[in-house]
Amino acid sequence: MICGSNTTEAHPIVGLKVKEAARRGAKLIVIDPRGTDVARLAEATGGMWIRLRPGTNILLLNAMLNVIFSEGLDAKAFIEERTENVDAIREHVADYPPEKVADAIGIPAERIREAARQYAQAENALILYGLGVVEHKGGTAGVMALANLCLATGHVGRPFNGINPLRGQNNVQGACDMGTLPYNLPGYLFTDDAVSRDKVAKAWGVASLPAKGGLLEPQMYDGAVEGGVKAMYIVGYDPAHTQSNISTVQNALKHLDFLVVQDIFLTETGRCAHVVLPAASFYEKDGTFTSGERRIRRVTKAIEPKGHAKADWEIVCMLSQAMGYPMLYTHPSMIMDEIARVAPPFGGVSYDRLGSDGLVWPCPTPDHPGTPLMHTERFPRGKARFMPVSHILSEEDADREYPLVLITGRRLEHYNNGSMTRRCEKFDEIAPCELVEINPEDARRFGVKDGEFVQVESRRGRLKVIAKVTEKSRTGSVFMAFHHENALVNQLTSPGMDYKTLTPEYKVCAVRVSAL
Amino acid sequence: MEDVIHLTIDGKELAVNSGQTILDVAQANGINIPTLCHLEGSDKDAARPCLLCMVEVEGDGRQRACKAEVRDGMVVVTKNKELEAYRKERLQALAKTHYGDCRAPCNLTCPGGINVQGYVNLVAQGEYEAALRLIKEKNPLPVSVGRVCPRFCETRCRRVLVDEPIAINHLKRFVADYCHEHGFRDSLPSVFSGKKVAVIGGGPAGLSCAYYSRKFGHDVTIFEAEDRLGGALRHWIPAYKLPKKPLEKEIQGILNLGVHVHTKKRWGDDFTLESLKSQGFEAVFIATGLSRQKTLEIEGAEYAVDGLHFLKDVNEGRANLNVKPGKAAKALVIGGGDIAVDAARSAKRLGAASVTVIYPRSRVEMSAQQRDIVEAEKEGVQFLLMAMPLRIVKEEEGCKVEMARTILSEPDEKGIRQPVAMPGSRLFWNGHVIISALGQEGDDAFRSYGQIEASIALTSKKTIKSNPSTMATNMPGIFAGGDAASGSRSVIQAVSSGRRAAEAIEEFLKSEKIFEAEARFNFSKGKRFDDVDVHNFDGYSIQLSGLMPVRPADRRNRDFDEVELGFSEEMARREAERCLKCGCGGLSKCTYRELSVEYKVDAGVSPERLKYPIDKSHPFIVVDPNKCIGCARCERSCRYDAFELHIETEPSDHSISDVSIKLNKRCVSCGACVDACPTGALSKRSLAVPCFPKEVKTVSSVCTYCATGCSLDLVVSNGSLQEVRAKKENAPNYGELCVKGRFGYTFYRHTERLSLPLVRDSIDEPFREVIWDEAIRLVATKFGAIKAAFGPDAIGVLSSSRCTNEENYLIQKFARGVIGTNSVDNCARV
Repeated sequence: MICGSNTTEAHPIVGLKVKEAARRGAKLIVIDPRGTDVARLAEATGGMWIRLRPGTNILLLNAMLNVIFSEGLDAKAFIEERTENVDAIREHVADYPPEKVADAIGIPAERIREAARQYAQAENALILYGLGVVEHKGGTAGVMALANLCLATGHVGRPFNGINPLRGQNNVQGACDMGTLPYNLPGYLFTDDAVSRDKVAKAWGVASLPAKGGLLEPQMYDGAVEGGVKAMYIVGYDPAHTQSNISTVQNALKHLDFLVVQDIFLTETGRCAHVVLPAASFYEKDGTFTSGERRIRRVTKAIEPKGHAKADWEIVCMLSQAMGYPMLYTHPSMIMDEIARVAPPFGGVSYDRLGSDGLVWPCPTPDHPGTPLMHTERFPRGKARFMPVSHILSEEDADREYPLVLITGRRLEHYNNGSMTRRCEKFDEIAPCELVEINPEDARRFGVKDGEFVQVESRRGRLKVIAKVTEKSRTGSVFMAFHHENALVNQLTSPGMDYKTLTPEYKVCAVRVSAL
Repeated sequence: MEDVIHLTIDGKELAVNSGQTILDVAQANGINIPTLCHLEGSDKDAARPCLLCMVEVEGDGRQRACKAEVRDGMVVVTKNKELEAYRKERLQALAKTHYGDCRAPCNLTCPGGINVQGYVNLVAQGEYEAALRLIKEKNPLPVSVGRVCPRFCETRCRRVLVDEPIAINHLKRFVADYCHEHGFRDSLPSVFSGKKVAVIGGGPAGLSCAYYSRKFGHDVTIFEAEDRLGGALRHWIPAYKLPKKPLEKEIQGILNLGVHVHTKKRWGDDFTLESLKSQGFEAVFIATGLSRQKTLEIEGAEYAVDGLHFLKDVNEGRANLNVKPGKAAKALVIGGGDIAVDAARSAKRLGAASVTVIYPRSRVEMSAQQRDIVEAEKEGVQFLLMAMPLRIVKEEEGCKVEMARTILSEPDEKGIRQPVAMPGSRLFWNGHVIISALGQEGDDAFRSYGQIEASIALTSKKTIKSNPSTMATNMPGIFAGGDAASGSRSVIQAVSSGRRAAEAIEEFLKSEKIFEAEARFNFSKGKRFDDVDVHNFDGYSIQLSGLMPVRPADRRNRDFDEVELGFSEEMARREAERCLKCGCGGLSKCTYRELSVEYKVDAGVSPERLKYPIDKSHPFIVVDPNKCIGCARCERSCRYDAFELHIETEPSDHSISDVSIKLNKRCVSCGACVDACPTGALSKRSLAVPCFPKEVKTVSSVCTYCATGCSLDLVVSNGSLQEVRAKKENAPNYGELCVKGRFGYTFYRHTERLSLPLVRDSIDEPFREVIWDEAIRLVATKFGAIKAAFGPDAIGVLSSSRCTNEENYLIQKFARGVIGTNSVDNCARV
């Protein structure tokens, strides 16, 4: 079951594997408003494509769970042995019979039932989900709804089962693992746990670590405008291009007394900075990345940094040194050795163990083989707990003034803010500019012609882009990516955020499209 | 079911799991069975199998090793005369339709063996340092050679069939000058070998040998008779061609590797080969050059100045042509080589009232570089051709030279028509200075220096007899190169001999074969321009070569400042982009060539004409059906049904009679096909440096784009990234990549890459570049001040997925441990 993932474009090699699996007879259920390759593949290979209305994931997933319970498809022994709170979830989803929510989702009740049956009754069922689940106001809830399905059917803890979040960026897993989160120290120790703080402080040779909670990224922008945050240090990240509703981000950055940006190119964020530090690209440095399957792999320096650029770790060391705290590493392997001492899940990780296949964490001790498959016997908290989640309305929906829903996402040829891929030879030919994908019916309705410039306008901004009329877009919704600097799509996107993680609602905002 | 079975391959007894093919088992056990069409990991068989992997299985006859599964008790023979003949026949049939150039004509022509196409295209990509490193693999004196080379490469450049050859040597000079200006640092020598090497003579050959010997880790000492190194480059080549500052810098760069120098040490006077030996030098390279000129054998020859002495005086600043203060001399130069023309141009610069070069044949027969003759004329040098001096008569002030017009004699025993004085012809020249520059000749004086010296064999021209590929003399451990061995040749030829000697010395000192000679095998579209099908250039529009900026002739002929000013970066890149890339872009993956060399295929049977147009419409892949061998690995490797391949073969000999290759609109540019192709039928547009498979250097890494974490093999050449591949055996992608993974790497060399830190006081101001120390101090001070004034939580830190784990760890450590805030987050929301 693939939910909210344009797999062949955003994760092409995973997409290949999906295609191979489908050819071998695996049944696909694809939940996506867009007619992605995997959606078409599901239809072509006897699977299902649930073309739901944008922003209705939880309704659909809860309805599927409703079917699983009401039709007795739940894995009773598994639920009994490995989970808790099943009564609450059963009661909660009783409110979501497919017949009741079908109209809101835009899918006939019988198809929802069919999807639930297929998922529940499969011997093995794997869920792949992408940013189409998380980039909603109810993103966290959406993931929990998927987890509930997984638990109710026992599709977890065995090979070919479980939930795999297809993470958007190469080392986003590793960034979180290493504690670049306000509430986590490396290895998911908690900052509000004094014992953990003391342990890490000791390892670092500092008196204590801050106990006060830190700010999440969007809170930093609020702080900048309100005056509490005076300076920021942004490394390898371009929020002035990629955050949603970027005019507020750009405004916040301009409020700072001092902004330091570290990157390989001058990005939109760099343009708001007081200091820009030139960094080495990943071909020019040593280190490790952790992929979406928690696999720690060696990144190997192949060439020298261009010009006077330096690896991020070297720059941080210099800066730290200049501020009176010596960081005397001569090679990233020394840093990894320290990580192993500090962060329990990485206790057994060292460079000499990272062969061509790397190691999958948790790997707590030097003789531990790593853990490719989790939750086989027990969950980290013991029993898994069903979490009842309710449908959360998007910040905006299509209305008379802004009659279309804009979904944003990625294209095969580009990566994130495009600062790298746009500068690759020939990529300017294969995907030269931003496009808005619009359904032929909507195109007729709004007088839009394929290949012509149109204006896309939300309550926050407007852009001129070329229209691509395609069945790929669901009626009532349009699609754009966010890779190009000359059409900053995030000028349009929603101020809505997930209630817990503050992840922006990139997948739903109301727009109008008009011919120029 | 996998059971262990026993079988014999080529007499080797093996115990292996069943269920494998003979090919799998052989490959796993180091037994090489040739194949072109086998595609590892694919279940699709070739429609037209290459049949090269045919082996003899006892009792079953010939079998395809890639198909036949191993059985218990099987006896397999992979090599015998019949199989080899069969394979050769198959390979030879493919040669009938294989049309292309393995290596570019420029590469093949360069006496230095420099990968010319490679460095030209690195310049086009802005990879100047990599270009210089590639040049320096074969030539440690690019600053000098880039100014004085006769440019053999350019004479073979096929661009002349479109418009004009590429100005290759100007590009070499550009990268050498550019990198030296930008603080180029040579790679370090290998660890000290414990061996001592002596080099006699510090000219181009000696310097080259010293450079490479030092790189191999030896303790190298140059013995130089003069007070400074450089040989011909310093003493004879005038400064207007090669200014002495860059030359000195270039020499110093070699010495900086740790080469010892003894100047003013003359062979015979200060040391002998015997004494060097007793000092522990295990190998000696003799590169003393030729300092003797042919004697002028006419009456009054004693009144002529030796051209080499004259040029040396010019370079030392000692030459003076004034007859008396205020009166400039008239000069006559006898000869037609580089020394003659350089002497003439120098005389002009010294203020000679007139300079005339007298030469007994026609202009095109002059051995000086023709372009120098043209430049000399522009500077006011006159050429009296088809004339010879007969007699020099000393007069009260100056000399008189009696001359005659020449005609060509009847052919002599070698068939050469020598110039002789036209009967009855008498001409006179009156002037002051006569410079004799008849060309250098061998000198056997060294033979009297010692016992070893006396045993060294000479050529008939009194030069040292040495093996042209190893520079070895008849005496073990004694090598000789440069002009002292070859007779008068170009600088690049001397440099090349020095490198060859260093390699041979390395093998001599280690007593093992290290350097494989490159196979002479080469498919070619035509050795002569006339043979090359002009349809190869269909679609190219004319863009003439960039002209070297020069100082105007009437100004430059008054001083010794450099005449040629060098290409700007923009000119260099534009010039380099003109390259037609004749050498095959598939060379580094060409199994067909490797097998053709092994099985001694005759490449001469290849077609003479282009049969199919070369398709360059794909953004990343160049499709050249003229090189297709019909293995269909491309089609079978494609996971997107994007490949439309149509092949017809000749039933009689299985040669290919028709090919069409098309990538349709389903192509997502993943590039699997191009890496699967075992020839250059599919090649990568962005690959700059064609090289042999054994020269490919790869670094294993992980893709930086999505979080799948695909394994990459980064192909590196001299510090530039040439291509990205993926190995079949590595998880999680098992050889597959997407367009970003395989082709999205060139951003690293984009001109907009940040190099130095940028700072400004306010965001309304423009940035200014500063050095690292200043930027770091500024950031540390600012962060410190803000922390002091507003507390640590006034600073927010954002990290990202583009950073490694180690970097993310340090960034949060910096936030928490140094700043003192938990306000650290990352880019996970996008």
